[in-house]
Amino acid sequence: MTRPDETPGPDEIAARLAKVRARDNAGTTAGADGPQGRGQAGSGLGIGMRISIELVTTVAVGGALGYGLDVWWGSAPAAMVVCLLFGGAAGVSNAYRVVKGLDDSVGLGGAIARKETKEGNKSRGQSG
Amino acid sequence: MASPVEQFTIKPLVPIHVAGIDLSFTNSSLMMVAAVLLPATFFWFATARRTVVPGRLQSVAEILYEFIANMIRDNVGKEGMKYFPYIFTLFVFVFLGNMIGMLPYSFTFTSHIAVTAALAVAIFIVVTIIGFAKHGTHYLRMFFPHGAPLATAPILIPIELISYLSRPFSLSVRLFANMTVGHIMLKVLAGFVVALGIVGGLMPFAVVLGITVLEFFIAALQAYVFTILTCIYLNDALNMH
Amino acid sequence: MPQFDFSTFPSQILWLVITIFALYLVMTRMAIPRLAEVLDQRQKMMDDDLEQAERLKSQTEAAIAAYETALAEARAKAHAEIRAVTEAADRATAERTAEVNARLAVQIKDGETRIVKARDAALANVREVAATVAQGIVSRLAGLSLDTKRVDGAVATALKEHGR
Repeated sequence: MTRPDETPGPDEIAARLAKVRARDNAGTTAGADGPQGRGQAGSGLGIGMRISIELVTTVAVGGALGYGLDVWWGSAPAAMVVCLLFGGAAGVSNAYRVVKGLDDSVGLGGAIARKETKEGNKSRGQSG
Repeated sequence: MASPVEQFTIKPLVPIHVAGIDLSFTNSSLMMVAAVLLPATFFWFATARRTVVPGRLQSVAEILYEFIANMIRDNVGKEGMKYFPYIFTLFVFVFLGNMIGMLPYSFTFTSHIAVTAALAVAIFIVVTIIGFAKHGTHYLRMFFPHGAPLATAPILIPIELISYLSRPFSLSVRLFANMTVGHIMLKVLAGFVVALGIVGGLMPFAVVLGITVLEFFIAALQAYVFTILTCIYLNDALNMH
Repeated sequence: MPQFDFSTFPSQILWLVITIFALYLVMTRMAIPRLAEVLDQRQKMMDDDLEQAERLKSQTEAAIAAYETALAEARAKAHAEIRAVTEAADRATAERTAEVNARLAVQIKDGETRIVKARDAALANVREVAATVAQGIVSRLAGLSLDTKRVDGAVATALKEHGR
Protein backbone atom coordinates (compact mmCIF):
# COMPACT_ATOMS: atom_id res chain seq x y z
CA MET A 1 0.00 0.00 0.00
CA THR A 2 1.08 3.59 0.41
CA ARG A 3 3.85 4.68 2.64
CA PRO A 4 2.87 7.33 5.14
CA ASP A 5 5.44 9.81 3.87
CA GLU A 6 3.80 9.86 0.46
CA THR A 7 0.80 12.09 0.68
CA PRO A 8 -1.56 11.19 -2.16
CA GLY A 9 -2.81 13.98 -4.34
CA PRO A 10 -6.49 14.87 -4.53
CA ASP A 11 -6.84 13.18 -7.91
CA GLU A 12 -5.45 9.98 -6.51
CA ILE A 13 -7.77 10.17 -3.52
CA ALA A 14 -10.71 10.73 -5.85
CA ALA A 15 -9.68 7.73 -7.93
CA ARG A 16 -9.37 5.56 -4.84
CA LEU A 17 -12.72 6.65 -3.49
CA ALA A 18 -14.36 5.93 -6.83
CA LYS A 19 -12.77 2.50 -6.84
CA VAL A 20 -14.00 1.68 -3.34
CA ARG A 21 -17.50 2.93 -4.17
CA ALA A 22 -17.57 0.83 -7.32
CA ARG A 23 -16.54 -2.22 -5.35
CA ASP A 24 -19.22 -1.55 -2.74
CA ASN A 25 -21.90 -1.22 -5.37
CA ALA A 26 -20.70 -4.30 -7.18
CA GLY A 27 -20.99 -6.16 -3.91
CA THR A 28 -24.59 -5.17 -3.41
CA THR A 29 -25.96 -5.43 -6.91
CA ALA A 30 -24.05 -8.35 -8.37
CA GLY A 31 -26.16 -11.30 -9.29
CA ALA A 32 -29.40 -9.41 -8.87
CA ASP A 33 -30.33 -10.65 -12.30
CA GLY A 34 -30.53 -14.28 -11.32
CA PRO A 35 -28.41 -17.36 -11.38
CA GLN A 36 -24.86 -17.38 -12.53
CA GLY A 37 -24.90 -21.07 -13.21
CA ARG A 38 -21.48 -21.58 -11.83
CA GLY A 39 -20.03 -24.78 -13.22
CA GLN A 40 -19.30 -27.14 -10.41
CA ALA A 41 -15.67 -27.89 -10.18
CA GLY A 42 -15.12 -31.55 -10.50
CA SER A 43 -12.75 -34.20 -11.53
CA GLY A 44 -13.58 -36.72 -14.22
CA LEU A 45 -14.70 -39.04 -11.46
CA GLY A 46 -17.03 -36.42 -10.07
CA ILE A 47 -18.62 -35.71 -13.44
CA GLY A 48 -18.97 -39.41 -14.17
CA MET A 49 -20.64 -39.93 -10.83
CA ARG A 50 -23.00 -37.02 -11.41
CA ILE A 51 -23.99 -38.29 -14.85
CA SER A 52 -24.66 -41.78 -13.59
CA ILE A 53 -26.68 -40.42 -10.67
CA GLU A 54 -28.72 -38.20 -13.00
CA LEU A 55 -29.42 -41.09 -15.36
CA VAL A 56 -30.33 -43.51 -12.60
CA THR A 57 -32.51 -41.13 -10.61
CA THR A 58 -34.49 -39.79 -13.57
CA VAL A 59 -35.12 -43.28 -14.92
CA ALA A 60 -36.10 -44.44 -11.44
CA VAL A 61 -38.44 -41.48 -10.99
CA GLY A 62 -39.91 -42.12 -14.42
CA GLY A 63 -40.41 -45.78 -13.58
CA ALA A 64 -41.99 -44.98 -10.23
CA LEU A 65 -44.29 -42.42 -11.82
CA GLY A 66 -45.27 -44.92 -14.51
CA TYR A 67 -45.89 -47.62 -11.94
CA GLY A 68 -48.06 -45.27 -9.94
CA LEU A 69 -50.09 -44.27 -12.98
CA ASP A 70 -50.47 -47.91 -14.00
CA VAL A 71 -51.82 -48.80 -10.57
CA TRP A 72 -54.16 -45.81 -10.69
CA TRP A 73 -55.43 -46.35 -14.23
CA GLY A 74 -54.99 -50.13 -14.35
CA SER A 75 -53.15 -49.66 -17.62
CA ALA A 76 -50.07 -51.76 -16.93
CA PRO A 77 -47.60 -51.66 -18.48
CA ALA A 78 -48.35 -48.79 -20.90
CA ALA A 79 -47.75 -45.84 -18.54
CA MET A 80 -44.67 -47.55 -17.14
CA VAL A 81 -43.12 -47.88 -20.60
CA VAL A 82 -43.92 -44.32 -21.62
CA CYS A 83 -42.71 -42.86 -18.34
CA LEU A 84 -39.51 -44.88 -18.43
CA LEU A 85 -38.83 -43.44 -21.88
CA PHE A 86 -39.50 -39.93 -20.62
CA GLY A 87 -37.34 -40.63 -17.60
CA GLY A 88 -34.54 -41.73 -19.86
CA ALA A 89 -34.95 -38.60 -21.95
CA ALA A 90 -34.90 -36.44 -18.82
CA GLY A 91 -31.78 -38.27 -17.67
CA VAL A 92 -30.08 -37.61 -20.99
CA SER A 93 -31.06 -33.95 -20.88
CA ASN A 94 -29.73 -33.65 -17.32
CA ALA A 95 -26.53 -35.47 -18.26
CA TYR A 96 -26.21 -33.10 -21.21
CA ARG A 97 -26.41 -30.21 -18.77
CA VAL A 98 -23.66 -31.71 -16.64
CA VAL A 99 -21.39 -32.19 -19.64
CA LYS A 100 -22.06 -28.74 -21.08
CA GLY A 101 -21.81 -27.01 -17.72
CA LEU A 102 -25.32 -25.57 -17.92
CA ASP A 103 -27.19 -24.43 -14.84
CA ASP A 104 -29.53 -26.77 -13.02
CA SER A 105 -32.69 -24.69 -13.15
CA VAL A 106 -35.87 -25.94 -14.76
CA GLY A 107 -35.96 -25.92 -18.56
CA LEU A 108 -33.12 -27.19 -20.71
CA GLY A 109 -33.81 -24.67 -23.46
CA GLY A 110 -33.69 -21.84 -20.98
CA ALA A 111 -30.44 -23.12 -19.54
CA ILE A 112 -28.87 -23.26 -23.01
CA ALA A 113 -30.14 -19.77 -23.83
CA ARG A 114 -28.78 -18.38 -20.56
CA LYS A 115 -25.40 -19.94 -21.14
CA GLU A 116 -25.30 -18.60 -24.69
CA THR A 117 -26.23 -15.07 -23.64
CA LYS A 118 -23.65 -15.24 -20.88
CA GLU A 119 -20.95 -16.35 -23.28
CA GLY A 120 -22.14 -13.82 -25.82
CA ASN A 121 -21.73 -11.13 -23.20
CA LYS A 122 -18.34 -12.46 -22.33
CA SER A 123 -17.06 -12.52 -25.91
CA ARG A 124 -18.55 -9.09 -26.54
CA GLY A 125 -16.85 -7.85 -23.41
CA GLN A 126 -13.54 -9.22 -24.62
CA SER A 127 -13.78 -7.72 -28.08
CA GLY A 128 -15.22 -4.39 -27.04
CA MET B 1 -10.29 -57.37 8.48
CA ALA B 2 -13.68 -55.79 8.98
CA SER B 3 -15.96 -55.23 6.05
CA PRO B 4 -15.58 -51.77 4.53
CA VAL B 5 -19.28 -51.11 5.00
CA GLU B 6 -19.19 -51.92 8.69
CA GLN B 7 -18.35 -48.31 9.45
CA PHE B 8 -21.86 -47.34 8.33
CA THR B 9 -23.55 -49.59 10.87
CA ILE B 10 -25.94 -47.76 13.17
CA LYS B 11 -25.50 -48.83 16.77
CA PRO B 12 -28.08 -47.85 19.35
CA LEU B 13 -26.57 -46.06 22.32
CA VAL B 14 -29.75 -45.31 24.25
CA PRO B 15 -32.52 -47.63 23.13
CA ILE B 16 -35.87 -45.88 22.78
CA HIS B 17 -38.90 -47.69 21.48
CA VAL B 18 -42.18 -45.88 21.03
CA ALA B 19 -45.19 -47.88 19.87
CA GLY B 20 -43.01 -50.54 18.37
CA ILE B 21 -40.94 -48.04 16.38
CA ASP B 22 -37.23 -47.90 17.03
CA LEU B 23 -36.35 -44.28 17.85
CA SER B 24 -33.10 -45.08 19.67
CA PHE B 25 -30.42 -42.53 20.23
CA THR B 26 -27.69 -43.98 18.04
CA ASN B 27 -24.13 -43.23 17.04
CA SER B 28 -25.65 -41.37 14.08
CA SER B 29 -27.72 -39.25 16.45
CA LEU B 30 -24.65 -38.59 18.57
CA MET B 31 -22.81 -37.20 15.56
CA MET B 32 -25.81 -35.08 14.68
CA VAL B 33 -25.76 -33.67 18.18
CA ALA B 34 -22.06 -33.03 17.70
CA ALA B 35 -22.86 -31.23 14.45
CA VAL B 36 -25.05 -28.90 16.51
CA LEU B 37 -22.81 -28.47 19.53
CA LEU B 38 -19.59 -27.91 17.57
CA PRO B 39 -20.85 -24.99 15.49
CA ALA B 40 -22.76 -23.65 18.52
CA THR B 41 -19.52 -23.59 20.53
CA PHE B 42 -17.55 -22.28 17.60
CA PHE B 43 -19.92 -19.41 16.87
CA TRP B 44 -20.26 -18.66 20.58
CA PHE B 45 -16.53 -18.15 20.97
CA ALA B 46 -16.01 -16.65 17.54
CA THR B 47 -18.57 -13.94 18.18
CA ALA B 48 -18.04 -13.54 21.93
CA ARG B 49 -16.03 -10.35 21.53
CA ARG B 50 -17.54 -8.66 18.52
CA THR B 51 -14.70 -6.48 17.41
CA VAL B 52 -14.67 -4.36 14.29
CA VAL B 53 -11.24 -5.69 13.45
CA PRO B 54 -11.94 -9.41 13.71
CA GLY B 55 -9.82 -11.94 15.48
CA ARG B 56 -8.94 -15.24 13.87
CA LEU B 57 -12.06 -17.16 14.91
CA GLN B 58 -14.31 -14.24 14.19
CA SER B 59 -12.95 -13.81 10.67
CA VAL B 60 -13.53 -17.50 9.97
CA ALA B 61 -17.14 -17.10 11.12
CA GLU B 62 -17.50 -13.96 9.03
CA ILE B 63 -16.04 -15.63 5.96
CA LEU B 64 -18.54 -18.44 6.37
CA TYR B 65 -21.39 -15.95 6.71
CA GLU B 66 -20.28 -13.93 3.69
CA PHE B 67 -19.72 -17.11 1.69
CA ILE B 68 -23.33 -18.22 2.11
CA ALA B 69 -24.65 -14.68 1.72
CA ASN B 70 -22.78 -14.29 -1.57
CA MET B 71 -23.93 -17.72 -2.72
CA ILE B 72 -27.55 -16.68 -2.20
CA ARG B 73 -27.03 -13.26 -3.77
CA ASP B 74 -25.32 -14.78 -6.82
CA ASN B 75 -27.76 -17.61 -7.37
CA VAL B 76 -31.07 -16.30 -6.10
CA GLY B 77 -30.70 -12.54 -5.87
CA LYS B 78 -31.66 -10.14 -3.10
CA GLU B 79 -35.05 -11.78 -2.65
CA GLY B 80 -33.37 -14.97 -1.52
CA MET B 81 -31.76 -13.32 1.51
CA LYS B 82 -35.04 -13.95 3.33
CA TYR B 83 -34.07 -17.64 3.38
CA PHE B 84 -30.54 -17.01 4.55
CA PRO B 85 -30.95 -18.59 8.03
CA TYR B 86 -32.31 -21.82 6.58
CA ILE B 87 -29.61 -22.15 3.96
CA PHE B 88 -26.90 -21.20 6.42
CA THR B 89 -28.14 -23.84 8.87
CA LEU B 90 -28.34 -26.40 6.10
CA PHE B 91 -24.82 -25.72 4.93
CA VAL B 92 -23.33 -25.81 8.42
CA PHE B 93 -25.15 -29.05 9.22
CA VAL B 94 -24.16 -30.88 6.04
CA PHE B 95 -20.62 -29.51 6.13
CA LEU B 96 -20.15 -30.56 9.75
CA GLY B 97 -21.71 -33.94 9.04
CA ASN B 98 -19.27 -34.55 6.20
CA MET B 99 -16.29 -33.27 8.17
CA ILE B 100 -17.03 -35.14 11.40
CA GLY B 101 -17.10 -38.27 9.29
CA MET B 102 -13.48 -37.70 8.36
CA LEU B 103 -12.38 -38.23 11.96
CA PRO B 104 -11.21 -41.74 12.73
CA TYR B 105 -13.72 -43.98 14.54
CA SER B 106 -16.49 -41.46 14.03
CA PHE B 107 -19.61 -41.86 11.96
CA THR B 108 -20.82 -40.01 8.86
CA PHE B 109 -24.53 -39.39 9.13
CA THR B 110 -24.58 -37.83 5.64
CA SER B 111 -23.56 -41.22 4.24
CA HIS B 112 -27.03 -42.50 5.04
CA ILE B 113 -29.70 -42.18 2.41
CA ALA B 114 -32.37 -41.71 5.08
CA VAL B 115 -30.74 -38.47 6.21
CA THR B 116 -29.90 -37.06 2.80
CA ALA B 117 -33.27 -38.04 1.37
CA ALA B 118 -35.11 -36.47 4.30
CA LEU B 119 -33.17 -33.25 3.80
CA ALA B 120 -33.61 -33.27 0.02
CA VAL B 121 -37.32 -34.10 0.14
CA ALA B 122 -37.88 -31.40 2.73
CA ILE B 123 -36.04 -28.90 0.50
CA PHE B 124 -38.01 -30.05 -2.52
CA ILE B 125 -41.36 -29.73 -0.77
CA VAL B 126 -40.55 -26.33 0.72
CA VAL B 127 -39.26 -24.98 -2.60
CA THR B 128 -42.32 -26.27 -4.45
CA ILE B 129 -44.61 -24.71 -1.84
CA ILE B 130 -42.75 -21.40 -2.16
CA GLY B 131 -43.12 -21.60 -5.93
CA PHE B 132 -46.86 -22.21 -5.79
CA ALA B 133 -47.35 -19.64 -3.04
CA LYS B 134 -45.59 -17.01 -5.08
CA HIS B 135 -46.84 -17.78 -8.57
CA GLY B 136 -49.97 -19.87 -8.00
CA THR B 137 -50.83 -22.29 -10.78
CA HIS B 138 -48.74 -20.14 -13.07
CA TYR B 139 -45.80 -21.98 -11.50
CA LEU B 140 -46.68 -24.95 -13.74
CA ARG B 141 -45.94 -22.73 -16.73
CA MET B 142 -42.28 -23.32 -15.90
CA PHE B 143 -42.46 -26.82 -17.36
CA PHE B 144 -43.20 -25.55 -20.81
CA PRO B 145 -40.70 -23.09 -22.25
CA HIS B 146 -41.95 -19.84 -23.76
CA GLY B 147 -41.97 -19.79 -27.53
CA ALA B 148 -41.60 -23.53 -28.00
CA PRO B 149 -43.93 -25.04 -30.60
CA LEU B 150 -47.13 -26.32 -28.99
CA ALA B 151 -46.72 -29.70 -30.66
CA THR B 152 -43.65 -30.42 -28.55
CA ALA B 153 -45.61 -29.95 -25.32
CA PRO B 154 -46.57 -33.64 -24.86
CA ILE B 155 -42.91 -34.54 -24.96
CA LEU B 156 -41.26 -31.57 -23.28
CA ILE B 157 -43.62 -31.30 -20.32
CA PRO B 158 -43.19 -34.90 -19.08
CA ILE B 159 -39.44 -34.66 -19.52
CA GLU B 160 -39.20 -31.41 -17.56
CA LEU B 161 -41.65 -32.74 -14.99
CA ILE B 162 -39.64 -35.90 -14.40
CA SER B 163 -36.50 -33.83 -14.35
CA TYR B 164 -38.09 -31.64 -11.68
CA LEU B 165 -39.38 -34.60 -9.66
CA SER B 166 -36.01 -36.29 -9.76
CA ARG B 167 -34.39 -33.33 -8.02
CA PRO B 168 -34.71 -34.55 -4.44
CA PHE B 169 -33.42 -37.96 -5.50
CA SER B 170 -30.40 -36.73 -7.40
CA LEU B 171 -29.68 -34.25 -4.60
CA SER B 172 -29.81 -36.89 -1.88
CA VAL B 173 -28.20 -39.67 -3.89
CA ARG B 174 -25.34 -37.42 -4.87
CA LEU B 175 -24.45 -36.55 -1.28
CA PHE B 176 -25.05 -40.07 -0.03
CA ALA B 177 -23.08 -41.74 -2.83
CA ASN B 178 -20.13 -39.38 -2.56
CA MET B 179 -19.80 -39.83 1.17
CA THR B 180 -20.33 -43.58 1.06
CA VAL B 181 -17.98 -44.27 -1.83
CA GLY B 182 -15.31 -42.01 -0.40
CA HIS B 183 -15.41 -43.67 2.97
CA ILE B 184 -15.41 -47.18 1.53
CA MET B 185 -12.44 -46.25 -0.62
CA LEU B 186 -10.57 -44.82 2.37
CA LYS B 187 -11.32 -47.87 4.47
CA VAL B 188 -10.20 -50.31 1.77
CA LEU B 189 -7.01 -48.38 1.10
CA ALA B 190 -6.29 -48.07 4.80
CA GLY B 191 -6.68 -51.83 5.02
CA PHE B 192 -4.09 -52.16 2.25
CA VAL B 193 -1.74 -49.94 4.19
CA VAL B 194 -2.06 -52.11 7.24
CA ALA B 195 -1.45 -55.20 5.11
CA LEU B 196 1.36 -53.71 3.07
CA GLY B 197 2.78 -51.42 5.73
CA ILE B 198 5.46 -53.81 6.79
CA VAL B 199 6.46 -54.66 3.22
CA GLY B 200 5.75 -51.62 1.07
CA GLY B 201 6.92 -48.91 3.39
CA LEU B 202 5.87 -45.34 2.74
CA MET B 203 4.23 -45.68 -0.67
CA PRO B 204 0.77 -46.95 0.41
CA PHE B 205 0.78 -44.50 3.28
CA ALA B 206 1.36 -41.61 0.85
CA VAL B 207 -1.51 -42.83 -1.30
CA VAL B 208 -3.86 -42.97 1.69
CA LEU B 209 -2.74 -39.51 2.72
CA GLY B 210 -3.50 -38.21 -0.76
CA ILE B 211 -6.93 -39.88 -0.79
CA THR B 212 -7.66 -38.46 2.65
CA VAL B 213 -6.89 -34.96 1.45
CA LEU B 214 -9.11 -35.59 -1.58
CA GLU B 215 -11.85 -36.83 0.73
CA PHE B 216 -11.68 -33.66 2.80
CA PHE B 217 -11.99 -31.72 -0.42
CA ILE B 218 -14.98 -33.81 -1.53
CA ALA B 219 -16.60 -33.47 1.90
CA ALA B 220 -16.42 -29.68 1.60
CA LEU B 221 -17.40 -29.70 -2.08
CA GLN B 222 -20.46 -31.87 -1.52
CA ALA B 223 -21.69 -29.60 1.26
CA TYR B 224 -21.20 -26.70 -1.13
CA VAL B 225 -22.96 -28.49 -3.99
CA PHE B 226 -25.86 -29.47 -1.75
CA THR B 227 -26.29 -25.86 -0.66
CA ILE B 228 -25.83 -24.27 -4.06
CA LEU B 229 -28.35 -26.65 -5.62
CA THR B 230 -30.79 -25.66 -2.91
CA CYS B 231 -30.15 -22.04 -3.91
CA ILE B 232 -30.71 -22.85 -7.59
CA TYR B 233 -33.97 -24.62 -6.83
CA LEU B 234 -35.04 -21.72 -4.67
CA ASN B 235 -34.20 -19.35 -7.50
CA ASP B 236 -36.44 -21.34 -9.84
CA ALA B 237 -39.29 -21.00 -7.37
CA LEU B 238 -38.76 -17.30 -6.71
CA ASN B 239 -37.77 -15.99 -10.13
CA MET B 240 -39.56 -17.90 -12.83
CA HIS B 241 -37.96 -17.60 -16.20
CA MET C 1 -25.33 -52.22 3.33
CA PRO C 2 -26.46 -50.71 6.64
CA GLN C 3 -27.80 -47.70 4.72
CA PHE C 4 -30.71 -49.73 3.45
CA ASP C 5 -31.70 -51.12 6.83
CA PHE C 6 -35.10 -49.50 6.95
CA SER C 7 -35.58 -50.23 10.66
CA THR C 8 -33.10 -47.45 11.44
CA PHE C 9 -34.89 -44.85 9.31
CA PRO C 10 -37.38 -43.56 11.89
CA SER C 11 -34.64 -43.00 14.44
CA GLN C 12 -32.39 -41.26 11.92
CA ILE C 13 -35.12 -38.99 10.65
CA LEU C 14 -36.38 -38.17 14.14
CA TRP C 15 -32.94 -37.19 15.36
CA LEU C 16 -32.21 -35.36 12.14
CA VAL C 17 -35.32 -33.24 12.65
CA ILE C 18 -34.48 -32.60 16.30
CA THR C 19 -30.84 -31.70 15.71
CA ILE C 20 -31.36 -29.58 12.63
CA PHE C 21 -34.10 -27.67 14.42
CA ALA C 22 -31.72 -27.16 17.35
CA LEU C 23 -29.03 -25.96 14.98
CA TYR C 24 -31.53 -23.63 13.33
CA LEU C 25 -32.36 -22.15 16.72
CA VAL C 26 -28.68 -21.75 17.57
CA MET C 27 -28.03 -20.03 14.26
CA THR C 28 -31.01 -17.68 14.27
CA ARG C 29 -30.83 -16.82 17.98
CA MET C 30 -27.10 -16.56 18.41
CA ALA C 31 -24.74 -16.82 15.47
CA ILE C 32 -26.54 -14.92 12.72
CA PRO C 33 -27.64 -11.88 14.79
CA ARG C 34 -24.19 -11.52 16.25
CA LEU C 35 -22.45 -11.82 12.90
CA ALA C 36 -24.95 -9.54 11.24
CA GLU C 37 -24.43 -7.00 13.99
CA VAL C 38 -20.66 -6.97 13.64
CA LEU C 39 -20.81 -6.91 9.85
CA ASP C 40 -23.35 -4.10 9.87
CA GLN C 41 -21.23 -2.19 12.30
CA ARG C 42 -18.19 -2.60 10.09
CA GLN C 43 -20.12 -1.66 6.99
CA LYS C 44 -21.44 1.42 8.72
CA MET C 45 -18.00 2.34 9.91
CA MET C 46 -16.59 1.93 6.43
CA ASP C 47 -19.40 3.97 4.98
CA ASP C 48 -18.78 6.65 7.57
CA ASP C 49 -15.08 6.64 6.81
CA LEU C 50 -15.75 6.83 3.12
CA GLU C 51 -18.22 9.61 3.65
CA GLN C 52 -15.72 11.49 5.74
CA ALA C 53 -13.02 10.95 3.15
CA GLU C 54 -15.36 12.21 0.49
CA ARG C 55 -16.29 15.23 2.59
CA LEU C 56 -12.65 16.02 3.28
CA LYS C 57 -11.90 15.62 -0.39
CA SER C 58 -14.63 18.03 -1.38
CA GLN C 59 -13.41 20.43 1.30
CA THR C 60 -9.91 20.19 -0.06
CA GLU C 61 -11.19 20.79 -3.53
CA ALA C 62 -13.19 23.77 -2.35
CA ALA C 63 -10.11 25.15 -0.61
CA ILE C 64 -8.05 24.65 -3.74
CA ALA C 65 -10.71 26.34 -5.83
CA ALA C 66 -10.95 29.24 -3.37
CA TYR C 67 -7.20 29.62 -3.37
CA GLU C 68 -7.13 29.62 -7.14
CA THR C 69 -9.90 32.20 -7.45
CA ALA C 70 -8.13 34.36 -4.85
CA LEU C 71 -4.93 34.03 -6.79
CA ALA C 72 -6.66 34.94 -10.03
CA GLU C 73 -8.38 37.87 -8.40
CA ALA C 74 -5.14 39.15 -6.93
CA ARG C 75 -3.48 38.82 -10.28
CA ALA C 76 -6.31 40.63 -11.99
CA LYS C 77 -6.21 43.39 -9.39
CA ALA C 78 -2.46 43.78 -9.80
CA HIS C 79 -2.89 44.01 -13.54
CA ALA C 80 -5.58 46.64 -13.15
CA GLU C 81 -3.42 48.66 -10.80
CA ILE C 82 -0.44 48.54 -13.09
CA ARG C 83 -2.58 49.66 -15.96
CA ALA C 84 -4.08 52.48 -13.91
CA VAL C 85 -0.66 53.72 -12.84
CA THR C 86 0.67 53.51 -16.36
CA GLU C 87 -2.35 55.35 -17.68
CA ALA C 88 -2.03 58.06 -15.05
CA ALA C 89 1.62 58.51 -15.86
CA ASP C 90 0.84 58.64 -19.56
CA ARG C 91 -1.87 61.18 -18.95
CA ALA C 92 0.40 63.36 -16.81
CA THR C 93 3.09 63.27 -19.46
CA ALA C 94 0.60 64.14 -22.14
CA GLU C 95 -0.71 67.04 -20.08
CA ARG C 96 2.74 68.41 -19.45
CA THR C 97 3.61 68.10 -23.10
CA ALA C 98 0.41 69.88 -24.06
CA GLU C 99 1.10 72.66 -21.54
CA VAL C 100 4.64 73.13 -22.70
CA ASN C 101 3.48 73.10 -26.30
CA ALA C 102 0.87 75.71 -25.54
CA ARG C 103 3.37 77.95 -23.77
CA LEU C 104 5.81 77.53 -26.60
CA ALA C 105 3.10 78.39 -29.08
CA VAL C 106 2.26 81.59 -27.16
CA GLN C 107 5.91 82.58 -26.99
CA ILE C 108 6.35 81.87 -30.68
CA LYS C 109 3.31 83.98 -31.47
CA ASP C 110 4.61 86.83 -29.27
CA GLY C 111 7.93 86.64 -30.99
CA GLU C 112 6.35 86.72 -34.36
CA THR C 113 4.22 89.76 -33.56
CA ARG C 114 7.24 91.52 -32.13
CA ILE C 115 9.19 90.77 -35.25
CA VAL C 116 6.35 92.01 -37.44
CA LYS C 117 6.11 95.22 -35.42
CA ALA C 118 9.84 95.72 -35.59
CA ARG C 119 9.82 95.16 -39.31
CA ASP C 120 6.92 97.59 -39.80
CA ALA C 121 8.71 100.16 -37.71
CA ALA C 122 11.83 99.52 -39.67
CA LEU C 123 9.95 99.86 -42.91
CA ALA C 124 8.38 103.12 -41.76
CA ASN C 125 11.81 104.43 -40.86
CA VAL C 126 13.08 103.36 -44.26
CA ARG C 127 10.40 105.46 -45.94
CA GLU C 128 11.22 108.51 -43.85
CA VAL C 129 14.93 108.10 -44.43
CA ALA C 130 14.39 107.53 -48.12
CA ALA C 131 12.26 110.69 -48.37
CA THR C 132 14.76 112.79 -46.43
CA VAL C 133 17.62 111.38 -48.44
CA ALA C 134 15.76 112.05 -51.65
CA GLN C 135 15.02 115.65 -50.60
CA GLY C 136 18.62 116.17 -49.60
CA ILE C 137 19.95 114.71 -52.83
CA VAL C 138 17.54 116.79 -54.92
CA SER C 139 18.36 120.07 -53.07
CA ARG C 140 22.06 119.42 -53.22
CA LEU C 141 22.15 118.39 -56.86
CA ALA C 142 19.49 120.56 -58.36
CA GLY C 143 19.08 123.19 -55.72
CA LEU C 144 15.49 122.55 -55.71
CA SER C 145 13.41 122.34 -52.73
CA LEU C 146 10.91 119.64 -53.25
CA ASP C 147 7.54 119.44 -51.82
CA THR C 148 7.56 116.83 -49.05
CA LYS C 149 4.36 115.37 -50.26
CA ARG C 150 5.65 114.64 -53.71
CA VAL C 151 8.77 113.06 -52.38
CA ASP C 152 6.79 110.78 -50.13
CA GLY C 153 4.67 109.75 -53.07
CA ALA C 154 7.70 109.00 -55.18
CA VAL C 155 9.28 106.93 -52.40
CA ALA C 156 6.09 104.96 -52.00
CA THR C 157 6.00 104.31 -55.73
CA ALA C 158 9.62 103.26 -55.75
CA LEU C 159 9.13 100.97 -52.81
CA LYS C 160 6.13 99.48 -54.51
CA GLU C 161 8.18 98.86 -57.58
CA HIS C 162 10.68 97.01 -55.45
CA GLY C 163 7.96 94.91 -54.14
CA ARG C 164 7.64 96.49 -50.82
